[in-house]
Amino acid sequence: MDGICLELAGKGTAQAADPAAWAGGMEELALIRRAQDGDRSAFDELVRKYDQNVLRLALQMVRSPEEARDLYQEAFLKVYRSLPRFRLEARFSTWLYRVVMNVCLDYLRRQNSRKEVQAPEGEDGEAEYFQALPDEHPAQDPAHALRDKEIGKRIQGALAQLNPRERMVFELKHYQGLKLRAIGELCGTSEQTVKNCLFRATQKLRTELRDLV
Amino acid sequence: MNCQQFEENLALLDYGEVPEEQRVACEAHAASCERCRAALEDMRRLHVLLGERPRREPTPEFVVECRQALDEALDREQLGWHGLLRQWFSTWHFRPATGLAAALTLVACGFTVGWMLRPRALGTPSLAGLDGQPPITAADLANMRINGISRVAPDPQTGDVRITMDAARRLTLEGSLDDPRIQQVLVYAVKSYDNPGIRRESLDALRSGGNKPVVRQALLYTMQNDPNLGVRLAALDEAKSLEWDSNLRDALLGVLAHDKNDGMRVAAIDVLSRHADEAVLPALERLAASDACPYVRLKSASAVRSLGR
Repeated sequence: MDGICLELAGKGTAQAADPAAWAGGMEELALIRRAQDGDRSAFDELVRKYDQNVLRLALQMVRSPEEARDLYQEAFLKVYRSLPRFRLEARFSTWLYRVVMNVCLDYLRRQNSRKEVQAPEGEDGEAEYFQALPDEHPAQDPAHALRDKEIGKRIQGALAQLNPRERMVFELKHYQGLKLRAIGELCGTSEQTVKNCLFRATQKLRTELRDLV
Repeated sequence: MNCQQFEENLALLDYGEVPEEQRVACEAHAASCERCRAALEDMRRLHVLLGERPRREPTPEFVVECRQALDEALDREQLGWHGLLRQWFSTWHFRPATGLAAALTLVACGFTVGWMLRPRALGTPSLAGLDGQPPITAADLANMRINGISRVAPDPQTGDVRITMDAARRLTLEGSLDDPRIQQVLVYAVKSYDNPGIRRESLDALRSGGNKPVVRQALLYTMQNDPNLGVRLAALDEAKSLEWDSNLRDALLGVLAHDKNDGMRVAAIDVLSRHADEAVLPALERLAASDACPYVRLKSASAVRSLGR
């Protein structure tokens, strides 16, 4: 799967379960310690290990690649600034994605507050942007492509109706395939709360997209 | 289970997050309650619809651009522009006496070293590689793409400058598919490269080496895991010509169980039904009974019949 692979905090089991994963964990631990001591190349290695997943998530959450790049940068700068204070009790990936999630939530909240004073964003930029991405269905006929584009637009519109937390939870569950427990850990909340949030998000999407299903 | 409890579990049923006992109870309830059954079907259609949202994959160029921007932001963060400039110029303090001595020494050394290295003067100047790496020549640098410079550290003692950069060198590798290096790069490209076009081209290049273990493994991996439907289909098409064994069978069963695309499942059924392997029957029967796509159900039922049941 391309989405986020989140390792949840847990101790003492990795070595017994998978020696390779354990060795990888030790390697990462060494990188984190070096980065905490100010070794920039170690930090760069950590960035390269996780940044494609971060970018993928950011691209799903925003309208343009420029905004995704800003979120990516903001998230990693926050990680860089807070790294000296990072305690190795939690897994680095969990901590990193929590930072990313908070940056995305702040972005969505800002977007929501601007919605009332701004006209809806045009389609041109987005269309151009999609063309820049790898085509999933290269052999499609134009009518099919148009239909897909319309559906994509409707789905995007429906997702925009969710509040930031619902949007984030839905994205992590439906598109990134995270378990409820993992999402709960990222949000610092219980599995039941995540479940309720997902329930509300799904209900809203069902209502918004009723004519298409 | 009542309708309210069913409704509470409805959003999670297709995510595999409902405990088995509850899932069975939900299915039993849906079988007996028309309204809840309709809601379940509605939810499944919604999931299929949401799956049609275009995936936004970062292109390799975009990843490089983002890394570069982050590198620059980190440089500013680490030192600030003033700090960066201060550090850069800190080694160039001018003190008349030591400056004159240093200049004379440099001129003398320059003549001496120049004379000693006279025969090599026509060659290409080279830069010392660090950490046991071979020296980088000017020709190498001309072929390199510098993605970002993360640190420039002049050494005031020696006068050397250490530059840490993220650079990519363009290389062309040529050889037959028997060359392990060619195999290694192609398998890497098929399994891990971001651009689906390159993955597809690499897959085509691997075609003639289908039964080499490493190529087989890459094909089976791609067939099951590639995010791009076109590439998965091409890998599956290629798998038709592979010698039948349990790995191929398991990979095809993996496609049946996990691939969300109806066309992929149908193609996998076609391949499975050509081999009289009874181990595939339970999976085909399951598909014939419960796959969401009527055509897949039909094809599975037909394959089960042709395999002797």
